[in-house]
Amino acid sequence: MPERSRVKYVFVLPGIIWVLCFTIFPLLYSLRLAFFQARLGKPETFIWLENFRRALFDDYRFWNSMSVTVFFVACSVVCTVSLGLALALLFNRPLRGQRLFRALFTTPLFTAPIALGYLGLTIFHEQVGAVNTVLLALGVENPPAWFSSIWPARIAIVLVDIWQWTPFCFLVLLAGLQSLPDEIYEAAWLDTSSSWDIFRHITLPLLTPVLFTVSILRMVEAFKVLDIPFSMTSGGPGAATQTYSFYIYLTGLRNFNAGYASALAYILLIVMLLISLSFFNRLRQIYE
Amino acid sequence: MYQGKSTLGGKIALWIVILIAVAWAIFPFYWAIVTSFKQPGVIMTTPSLFPWLQFTPTLANWKDEFTQRWPEISRALGNSLIVSVGATLVAITLGTMAGYGLARFRFRRWKNKDMTMWFLSQRFLPPMATVIPFFMVMKFLNLLDTQLALILVNATFTMPFAVLTLRDVFKELPKEMEESAWVDGASHFQAFFRIALPLAAPAIAAAAVICFAFSWNEFLFALILTYRNAQPITVVIAGVEHTQGVQFWFVATRLLIAILPPALLALTAQRYIVRGLTFGAVKG
Amino acid sequence: MSSKLRNLLGVLAMLSMLLALAAPALAQEPTEEAGMISGFPTTDPNEAKTALAAFEKADKGQPDPAWKGKKLTIAVYSGGQRGPISGPLYFWRNKFEELTGATYDIVEIPFAELREKIFTDLQTGAGTYDILINCSNYYGDYILNDWIVPIDQYFDDPRFPKWDRASIAPAVARLMQWGDRWYGGNNDHDAQVLYYRRDIIEDPKWQAAFKEEMGYDMPVKMETWEEVLDIAKFFNKKDWNGDGDPDDGITLHLKVGGQGFFHFMALSAPYVVIPYPGDPPTKVTKYHNVYWFDPETMEPLINSPGHVRALEMLLALSKAGPPAMWGWSLGEAWADFLSGNAVMTFSWGDVGSLSQDPTQSVIQGKLGARGIPGTKSPYDREKGQFLNLEKPNMVGNQVGCSWHPVISKFSKEPELAYYFIAWQSTPEINHWNVAYGWTGVDPGTTYDWFPPYGTATIEEYVAGGYHPDDAKAFIGAYQDNFYNYPIFQNYMRIPGTPEMQEIWDVHLSEAVTGQVSPQEALDRTYQDWVRIVEDYGKDTLLKLYQESIGYQP
Repeated sequence: MPERSRVKYVFVLPGIIWVLCFTIFPLLYSLRLAFFQARLGKPETFIWLENFRRALFDDYRFWNSMSVTVFFVACSVVCTVSLGLALALLFNRPLRGQRLFRALFTTPLFTAPIALGYLGLTIFHEQVGAVNTVLLALGVENPPAWFSSIWPARIAIVLVDIWQWTPFCFLVLLAGLQSLPDEIYEAAWLDTSSSWDIFRHITLPLLTPVLFTVSILRMVEAFKVLDIPFSMTSGGPGAATQTYSFYIYLTGLRNFNAGYASALAYILLIVMLLISLSFFNRLRQIYE
Repeated sequence: MYQGKSTLGGKIALWIVILIAVAWAIFPFYWAIVTSFKQPGVIMTTPSLFPWLQFTPTLANWKDEFTQRWPEISRALGNSLIVSVGATLVAITLGTMAGYGLARFRFRRWKNKDMTMWFLSQRFLPPMATVIPFFMVMKFLNLLDTQLALILVNATFTMPFAVLTLRDVFKELPKEMEESAWVDGASHFQAFFRIALPLAAPAIAAAAVICFAFSWNEFLFALILTYRNAQPITVVIAGVEHTQGVQFWFVATRLLIAILPPALLALTAQRYIVRGLTFGAVKG
Repeated sequence: MSSKLRNLLGVLAMLSMLLALAAPALAQEPTEEAGMISGFPTTDPNEAKTALAAFEKADKGQPDPAWKGKKLTIAVYSGGQRGPISGPLYFWRNKFEELTGATYDIVEIPFAELREKIFTDLQTGAGTYDILINCSNYYGDYILNDWIVPIDQYFDDPRFPKWDRASIAPAVARLMQWGDRWYGGNNDHDAQVLYYRRDIIEDPKWQAAFKEEMGYDMPVKMETWEEVLDIAKFFNKKDWNGDGDPDDGITLHLKVGGQGFFHFMALSAPYVVIPYPGDPPTKVTKYHNVYWFDPETMEPLINSPGHVRALEMLLALSKAGPPAMWGWSLGEAWADFLSGNAVMTFSWGDVGSLSQDPTQSVIQGKLGARGIPGTKSPYDREKGQFLNLEKPNMVGNQVGCSWHPVISKFSKEPELAYYFIAWQSTPEINHWNVAYGWTGVDPGTTYDWFPPYGTATIEEYVAGGYHPDDAKAFIGAYQDNFYNYPIFQNYMRIPGTPEMQEIWDVHLSEAVTGQVSPQEALDRTYQDWVRIVEDYGKDTLLKLYQESIGYQP
């Protein structure tokens, strides 16, 4: 392959320049804002690291939304990946209607999360929602008050997210399973007859890279969650479902405290960078 | 590969689990459809799951959406369509080229791997970190409440995805044909357009579908950058929240209206969905 | 999936989208004319008849021919075509066109995003909206940034309809002004009152049952919150409406972002605001007639012992209602009362007028109402203790938004915009809006009141579909609130007010859902308010605050 040719830059540069332009400038601008006290209708004043100090040491809403987000991410990643894996194992066999099932499981992925949040609100509504209707019919005496107590509300938003993203994990893990070589299994079945042993000693290790990729991608997406709490709970009750992105939204876009919101956004950016850095080498191998 | 013994009991158990999984997957849609046929008065007073048995279905909500509210909804659908198609065109054009470049050429100063990772890292960037400056920039450029603003934003956020997926696709294509074309005196562009592009066409189409769906479902930037003329469907969906509460019936109708285009397109791209959604890290 | 099927689906998808694009052209035309009576979008002939009468009687000024073909844009919170506040805009649009040859677009914005959208528009100078149907507590930010246009310059211009500013209840009229200038038109007049089921509370059978269970006579006048609590507790979980299910004592709502904090504002006033002991009792001092901030230091009072005790009362009341209500929005709480499942609620005038709408209410003819109750033990900050009064401390309120139109500075058609505002402010049209519940426009002018406060008659209300006793109770409660209560809760509208109230809303929700104690919730609010005040500049806010509550240093 010729390497001296300049033409290769014509291929990659437009894309790189485009993305650079539209991300670097906004990022630089918000970096600047993060060091300012900048609020609607007020002159901007330079205040060094005050915004960051305030967020980290003097803002319980920061820590609250951070912990809500971490809970959300942890639950969502663990549940979607394990449910997805279970389903993938189940479907990884000759099965009539495979294609139909796969098509069925794809649709949730393409539902607008904002619409899903509102639908979640109708599904979990305490009097006339689907979930409590079913629970009552099953004889549950006091179905959860989904939107007026802390944990049910948090669980409700996680459930909606799980519903949307389990299909993703399922499809990806199924693809991963189907690409595993048959020969290894044939050999393995000669040694043991326990499906569990096969799963633990063969399937799982072989599937690890895929599991890893899926978990990382899910985590990255889950950290940004905004639409579902925005539409389903407005962050309530109290601030029990106020995720970090939602907190930034309220600060910067509803109350126009642009400086502080930029600092908050940068903290999120740094957290994401740290997370991604710790996985970077493994990701690089996957993209080799 | 699966080697279990299929006893009858095992089979039944399997199908029960599958049925539960399917029910879980379609239940929200079922609920949306049922809700869209309920009378507003009925929704808030009597919980019900089955039409005819528990309530009399009505077409009133759909009629309302397609007559009284149609000017607003059709405008939003038009905006969504223009924004999504525009963003997809940009992202796919530039993304195909960059993906091809990364797959076929070797870069020295900035290694291929680093560029790939850089594109991937864009996905890690929280949109919240850029939305305020984006707003300021669009205000400066006088682009607030225009479809162009949303096209620019969505193209930027979907392009890394297109690059990564298509890089992977091009890598799998045999390069011998292009090499022989070069020997025959074809330029790189001719080889790209005549040989690589047609071979990758189905995958490109699939990537386009996913870019389209991402842009179609985007909400945050749409909310901030538009207020009327360029409002896409996601913002209109948020309009179901009225002063007296959320209007369940319009939640249902609008969800169903909004999901149709991306979901139908996605079905056509089944084969590439997995690869697409994992940015090429997992082959579907 | 086979490629054939795939292609087919692709074609289908494309077709469905083309259809989506083509359909507006097909669908738009026929809808305009359907369901119109005398140019009003209604199916109720009586409604159209009364509206037409109001229209013909109202002053029309002399519309400027130059306005023909112009178009305004009005921003309003989303209530729909027959919903509160936005409904009348749709209802009167054709008539506006008839008068001026101009028309307007209505942009509905969800309540939670309303301020964000309006402020963004003003901040960027985009000028999308000519008229803003705004919440009265936006004024501070408007004035600080010079975003809206005074309208007194048009008052004597013959082109514009005349409206009667003296008729508006003074407490609400103040909200349309800043300093000595008028900015807003006359529309909605908000205050909260207590609604109850007259048929149940006055039923001797229930009164006897109450005495037997509680050991004393039912305090039917409900002069204090403590009495209200006892009654609510007594009725809660009893099947007093005879439908076979246990019913509710009281119904409220406090979903975050759903205006629920206004309830607490009304409830807490008598615990916090006390009259000046000298003359006049309404004199504002450091300790008297203040609710929000210390008028000398700008220190928030929001976690004062009085506020905390009021929040404890709210929590106690919540135990006498449906447990789900803290996740409710406005509509769900109202529906619970209107559908006959709750003995009481306290809310805006909407409940009174909606109770007369048989499509939403089963309680017509059964409605009782009174001004917001007081308390015998308000907190006196000067003495640092709760008082023990003979007669309850009663405090009037104008809690709410009192939604009304103002003109954006960036409007290119301020005169046409004012024409619309003035025309909608005329007594005839405003009174018509007040009389119909779905408009969300609440009473607050002399032509809504009965003598001696005003000129309305029971017959007028009955003609509008009211039950005479309900009208008496409903309008009477508002008259009491506006004219007979000795003192008033201040209306806060300094810059940053909406932000402060939104964060307060979150903390109140935390308290009622048991996440933190009432004290802790209000301490947090205090902390956040101190910060917001500092961000805006304490001295600026203090000066505006003193002006807005009439405090003389």
